[in-house]
Parts: sequence; C-alpha cells; structure tokens
Amino acid sequence: MVNLEDLKMEARRLLNDGTVKTIIGYSRNPNGMMSVPVFITTAEEVDRLVWDPTCVYNLARFLVDEKRKNQNTSVPDKKKTGIILKGCDSRALVVLLQEEYLKREDVYVLGVSCENSGVIDQKKLLKKVSGKKIKNLAFGTDGKIIVDTDGGKVKIPDQDVLADRCLECQANFPVIKDISFGEEIKKNIQAPFASLDKMESLSGDEKWTFWKTQLDKCIRCYACRSVCPMCYCEECVVDTIHFAVNADTPAQEKAQKIKWIEKSPITSENFVYHMVRAMHLAGRCIDCGECERVCPVEIPLRLINKKLEKEAKELFDYEAGYDPEQPSLVSSYRDEDPEDFIR
Amino acid sequence: MKIQKILLGDKMEKILQKKALPDWVTKLKDYQIIAPVQNESHWDFQILSHPSRINLDYKNTILSPKKFIFPQREVFFRFRSGEQSGYDLQENLPEEKPAVIFGVRPCDAKALTLMDKVFGGDMQDPYYWKRRNATILVGLSCNHPPSDNCFCTSVNGSPFSREGLDIMLTEMGDTYFVESISKKGDQLIRQAEALFKNPKETDKSEKKQLKSRAEKEISRKIPNIKNTPSKLETMFDSDFWNEESLSCIRCGICTYLCPTCHCFDINDEIKSDFPIEGERVRTWDNCQFPDFTMHSSGHNPRPDRASRLRQRILHKFQYFVKLYQTYQCTGCGRCVSQCPVGIDIIEILNKVNAR
Repeated sequence: MVNLEDLKMEARRLLNDGTVKTIIGYSRNPNGMMSVPVFITTAEEVDRLVWDPTCVYNLARFLVDEKRKNQNTSVPDKKKTGIILKGCDSRALVVLLQEEYLKREDVYVLGVSCENSGVIDQKKLLKKVSGKKIKNLAFGTDGKIIVDTDGGKVKIPDQDVLADRCLECQANFPVIKDISFGEEIKKNIQAPFASLDKMESLSGDEKWTFWKTQLDKCIRCYACRSVCPMCYCEECVVDTIHFAVNADTPAQEKAQKIKWIEKSPITSENFVYHMVRAMHLAGRCIDCGECERVCPVEIPLRLINKKLEKEAKELFDYEAGYDPEQPSLVSSYRDEDPEDFIR
Repeated sequence: MKIQKILLGDKMEKILQKKALPDWVTKLKDYQIIAPVQNESHWDFQILSHPSRINLDYKNTILSPKKFIFPQREVFFRFRSGEQSGYDLQENLPEEKPAVIFGVRPCDAKALTLMDKVFGGDMQDPYYWKRRNATILVGLSCNHPPSDNCFCTSVNGSPFSREGLDIMLTEMGDTYFVESISKKGDQLIRQAEALFKNPKETDKSEKKQLKSRAEKEISRKIPNIKNTPSKLETMFDSDFWNEESLSCIRCGICTYLCPTCHCFDINDEIKSDFPIEGERVRTWDNCQFPDFTMHSSGHNPRPDRASRLRQRILHKFQYFVKLYQTYQCTGCGRCVSQCPVGIDIIEILNKVNAR
C-alpha cells in the first residue's frame, strides 16, 4: 500500500530543501466525492495531499502549463517541478521526454503505484451505490474499493467500479520516477485490448453508423484535447490564432490563411476534429483515458486511441511511453517494418 | 413580442394523472414535442419522434434547453456570386413547427429570461425571437435538488420558480399538479381538457409543503452574494484569479453547458470556390478559448487561463448585474459538476465574499 505519510514527508523535504518549487498532486474537494488537482508550494500545505481511488487526473498535463509559464517569464524559476504520477501518467512523461518537449532534470517524479487496483469510473460507482451520497473512498487490500457512504461503509469489487482503462492497464506502477511509493507488482492482464472486441466485430457500415451517432453528439468543447498531456501544440488546428499574424502581417496574407476546420458542430467538421486528434496521438497515446472521462456527452473516445495503440503494437511492436531513449513511432523507420498495408 | 410577462394571480390550476401525460402530449399534434431522453448515462433534450414515449423521470440534462432557442449552429443566409455582379443572398429565418419543451427545470427556464434580455431590447435578434416565440415551456419543479451542486436559492431562484415558464408541473405521487402561468399555457391545457381535474385544497397545501422542503434540501449556498458585484469591482488585477485557475485546462465545458451563456461567433462557410457559394453561420463561441479575444493585430487581451476565468465570473456577477440588475447565473450547477478538474464557482464566489 502507498503510505501517504511517507509521501507527505518526502514532499515536505523537497519543498524545504528547495529541490522543487511546487508539488503537483491530488487534494480533497470539500464539496464533492472526487479529488482535485492541487499545486503545493509550501511545506505547511503538504497535509492537503491525498491518495485514493478518485485520483483520476493525469497530472502530467500540468507539466505543459509549467513549461509555458517558464517560457513566458523573464526570470524562470530553475527549481524542479515535483509531481505525483501514477503508472499511466508516468508513461505520458516518458513521451514528453522522448519528444524532447521536457527535460528530465526539470521534473521530480513522486511515483505512486496503483498496485492491483486503479482509479474509479465515477459513473460506474454512482450507479453501483444508487442514490447514496459518497463521503470518502479508499483502496482495500482484498481487491475491493472501500466506499464510505451516508448509509455506512460498503466494499465494492474493483472489477465493478474501476475505469475501463485500469482494467486493461499494464503499467500499474510508474515506469520513470525519482522516488516511488507502494509495491511494484506487475498486474496480469490477459486481454489488454478486450474493450475493442465489440467495435472490431462491426461491419464497415455498422462502424460508420456507430461513430456518426457518437461524433454527432460532440459539442466541440475541446475538453478531450485540453485535458490531454500530448496536446501541447502552441496552436491547435481548431483555434484560429495564427502565428503568422502579427502587427506587420498584411491584410492580404491574413485573408489567405488556411482554415482547416469550421466551428460548426456538424458531422464533417466533428469528424475532422476527432480524426486530427486521433492521428496526432497515434503511437503517442498512453491510455490514461482522460479524454473519455471528461467528455460531457460520453463519446467513447478511448476506443479510437486504443485501436491506434493496438495497431502500433501489432504492426510495429511499439508501445508508447516506456523508454525515453527510444525513437518515436512516427519519426522512425526499421527495415523490418511491415509495408504490406501500403497500397 | 417583448419579454414574456408572467401573469400572477389569475392562473389555471389542475391535476393530471402521471400516466395521462403521454395522452396529453399526443393530443398536441400541431407542435414538435421536445423532452429529456436518456443517452448512455446522461439525459439530453431531444425532439421526440414518438411523443407517447415521453418520460420525465429524470434529474437534469447535460445541455440546457437553450439549444432549441439559440442553437449551436444557425445559418443566417446563403450567398452565391451572381452572373453579372455582386452576390445573390437568401435569408434563412427559422421556419420550424411551434414546439413544446417538456420537463424544463426552473433554473433553465429562468436562464431563458436572461437570454431574452441579451437578444431583446433595442436590437431584437429575429432568429432568436422567431424560435423563442414559437416555443412553449412546460416546467418540472425540483422536489429534490437534481444535482449536489444546485444553488438556485442563492441566485434569486427557487426549485419551484415559475419564472419564464408557461406551465409548471409538480410531481405529487401518481399525479402532476399543473399550473398554467401564461395564455400559451392555458391553450395547451385546453387542447386536452378532459384529462385534467380541478385540484383539492389538500393538493395545494401539499404542493406548498413540497416547495419548502425542496428549498431546504439545497445544501450549497453563497450566503453573502449581494456583496459579490461590488467586491468583484475591486478585484480585476488581483492574483486571486491566477490562484483559482491553476488547474483550469481551458476547455469549453463550463460555458457551453451553461444555460445563460450566449456568446457567439459568425463565420462564412464556403462550399464552393467558383462560383463562390456558401453560408453565413452563427455558432456558439466560448470565452475560455484562446481565439475568443484574439485580435487580428496578434494581440490577445485575455492571454491566459486566469484572465479567462476572471471574465467568466465578472461577466456573470459584475457586468451583467450592471447592465440588467440581475446575476447571469441561475444556479443549475452544471459548470461545477461537469468541470474536468473540479473548479467550483460557488467556492470561488464564497472566497470572493470572504475577502
């Protein structure tokens, strides 16, 4: 089990001796059952840190903000950013290092192991406790989540309430860390791509109907993009902040700028948006599942990324986010790479 | 028509058996029927293809019914370069059938009265009003708060508020207590008069009890909200916004899901280069997006998440109050419940008031 007090002690040490400027972690939300991300800058605040099955957020996403903040400051703080990362989240950091977006020495990783459990899917849990108010959640020792409700404590098997991605997770402890908490027990996952079975069994027409129905729901809030640690482009194709435009840009050039996508939430534009997102994540997505978790209209976005992950694995024996030294999938070529699918 | 008047006093009160609701709805043949429909684990207002399947056993929808009055995409006009010179323009005013939206929560109905102020006044928006005037709102009282983050009572609302509604339904056992608040509402009841009975005095007192119980059940509150607008006036340059927005990921959930947010963008969508052909389209826009305030000069007056969070709060609780003497928030709690990182407007306002 992760000993939270040990984690807090290390966090205090890092802040007190000036190793880190901040610790990005999880804290209790006084008005809700889910934890919230927290940014701790003094040792006194360290007691706010929590570790429980509601720590769903992939905090690696905030490293992108930290980098941008430093870029925009005339005298950047040279101290490291301390961050609490789960196994999946640590794989996101690996990709960011591999792509040389971040430098390893700028980050201090406090790794936490999910051991044999994982984080919850809020919707599954709420359905399970039907109507009862949840006060607190904790990891059990017997493959169950302990849920403290207004009707007393209940134990719910992990299988029933964990997020889908946790049920298929093969990186349940951090792959990169400066210190780790909890046991590093490898999970035994028999079918890591089982969630794709249903979609893959559909015919082409059925797939089209399925995805059209799903993507027509999209309201283009871009939460899936905004929450993703891999979506760090300075300018996204959906935002019309054009870099070429500045005070000296002539009107003619502004008028000729390419419009990749319309704002209208209609089938064609929604498909363009989601396909661009998917293609940009091929060989990069580490299945933290955040895109699907935040979608307000419940589009099963994880299926798209999981499919790409499976293709990368089967065609190129490539798994994203394990080795920062490895060349990235789309920027490397090996003689033995298959090409029979190129027509 | 200007802002819809709420007729108090002389109102029609009836009792309808819950199981007779589909019979009433199927009688309303001249209207599109819009009601909540379950989609995965959430509910969404949709046009019912089978009105008899209406089901109001729901809490609240992810998107408010504003999308039927102020749709996310709307074509203003179509254009095509002409044979000789100039463009052929073809206006595209909405021509849908009149609609009845069933199951509207009081916060969402009140939100439409706020939208009326924005799209009304001296500059009437014909697209908005064409839909607004052709829509009848049948509300559903909140006997219990639909969400843990409901806070309507803090922003001059109530789980039983009739503001903006034509009819209010209140669930009482196997029946609905039906109140008609407008002439449109009266007409809707008259189309199936035989289904309705007159209420007994005990029904009326039961409804009153439900109302006071429901108000007590709302646990989230902003006690000193009256002070908020003046407090905010002094906080424009405060570091507070930076601290509160640290975890904001800059998505558009809070505003797109808000029943009162009304900002939009207008673009020309070109379908053909030669001859030039396309549509001028209005779509929802979002103050949380980086291009919302992007100037063509390259300058962005709201360049970061702190200034965008500040804008959201100040627009709702300072600027709107100055313009229209009311908060631009009806306490539905969607922005709180759906925020991917748990940013909580109630908490933020309470912190503002404590400063």
